[in-house]
Amino acid sequence: MNSTVTGAVATYLAQIRAELNDLPPGELEDVLDDVSGHLTEVAAEFDGEPTAAALQERLGTPREYADELRSAAGYPPRTHSMDHASAQASAGQALRWGVIAGTVGPFFLVVGIFSWSRDASAFFGLIGLAVLFGAAYLGVRALRGNDPRTVLDTPRGVAAANSIRELIQQLPPHLRQELVAIGQPVWWVARGVVGGGGFFALFGAGAVTVVGALAGAAVSIWIGRRTQQDRRWLWYLVPLNVVAAVAVPAGLAASFILGSNGPFLFSNGDDSRGRSSGYNYQNGLTLDGEQITNIYPFDEQGRQVKVLLYTQSGAALRLDLQDCATLYPGTESHSGVSNFFPLPEVQHDPNGTTDAENCKDSTKAPFTPRLAPTTTPTPTPSTPSPKPSSGVTLTVSPTR
Amino acid sequence: MDPSQLLKGVLDLAVLAVLRDADGYGYDVLRRLRAAGLEDVADASVYGTLRRLFAGGALTSYVQPSEEGPHRKYYGLNQTGLDLLAESTKTWNHFSDTMSGLLRKEAA
Repeated sequence: MNSTVTGAVATYLAQIRAELNDLPPGELEDVLDDVSGHLTEVAAEFDGEPTAAALQERLGTPREYADELRSAAGYPPRTHSMDHASAQASAGQALRWGVIAGTVGPFFLVVGIFSWSRDASAFFGLIGLAVLFGAAYLGVRALRGNDPRTVLDTPRGVAAANSIRELIQQLPPHLRQELVAIGQPVWWVARGVVGGGGFFALFGAGAVTVVGALAGAAVSIWIGRRTQQDRRWLWYLVPLNVVAAVAVPAGLAASFILGSNGPFLFSNGDDSRGRSSGYNYQNGLTLDGEQITNIYPFDEQGRQVKVLLYTQSGAALRLDLQDCATLYPGTESHSGVSNFFPLPEVQHDPNGTTDAENCKDSTKAPFTPRLAPTTTPTPTPSTPSPKPSSGVTLTVSPTR
Repeated sequence: MDPSQLLKGVLDLAVLAVLRDADGYGYDVLRRLRAAGLEDVADASVYGTLRRLFAGGALTSYVQPSEEGPHRKYYGLNQTGLDLLAESTKTWNHFSDTMSGLLRKEAA
């Protein structure tokens, strides 16, 4: 009920809450439930949302309202005891830890998610998780069993709550309600799917990712409902939401750009684990951005030769075949890739009538190399080798 | 004489009386009091009175969803409330008669 009041009404309600915050938490919530209903009805008497001044005109100041309520209800007079002061102090502490959990933790986690290597991902991810849960735990402990809303009674809490309220007031009222009614469940599912799915996508298999995404959505909904009942969960949930607020759009954008490669940031092949550079990621061999489809080795005398190519780690440097056997798959088994260069390529019939019967392969280079003058390259130690700024980049998917 | 001062002493009775016929939520009780002629009743004092009567065990409370918006907390009389209403009515009638008699005598 409290969540539905907005604007000046919400501020008025918060001020009454602050006036009554010495009441036992259960009674406080019950009476504020009534008051919030009252304020809603009173607000409905106005055309549009009432201003703070109009509310005071109608109901008196929040303090007068609270005092009248207090005396009619027979509550004890307001106590500004040490208890209250220490409650304020602990609320301030809880707020501080909450801010740390909500900013520093997510910062490291996001750095981890978008890190350049797996090691860096793990390192920053662990730091982020440790800060997030550590600070959140300390925040909840700082509450010392007090109602989490006491945080809103501290000067900083009031300022923060007011600025957030003003932000929310910028939205048109019907959009506000729809955001809560429709946006909230959609958000719960989205953050669960991306969180759970993204986590399991780190370990490869697509089926696990789907199960992880479904489980993540279920857990996320459960946590969402749980938090509505016990607001102390906010200390954990708000920081995680910050992480999800960054990861969800990034995950959706990545899956949109990668298209059929998979719905998640990290699921487009083993080599891309823990990397965010999935946007311009391509399988195969490229030279200065151009896809290499074949390699024609020549010896020093300019004669074409046939070679088997391997990488520095001994892995066969295979490229996709574009030969007749690939084009017209017959009975013979065919892997579709080879490291025996030059690769045979379909020789296109000038009439354009190539089919399975008359298809011919060729390994002849479609050019003659301009051989450099036969100076034997004697490497001089003093001159630096050519800058490796441009060169071959290789990304091979070994499963293909 | 300030009617709001008089009202303070009998607000319990007034609230119990408007709840006798039908259960009501806070704003509803407020409206019924006003409609009955108690225009000076302060909003917050009615809500406070409801809480006190509820805490004293005279009222039951339950939540009902409303078509217009948020749920509403209804209050209704239980047996304790009915007993309290009967007793308070007796006290009030006795007091009222006494006062009226006194004022008549003074006027005569």
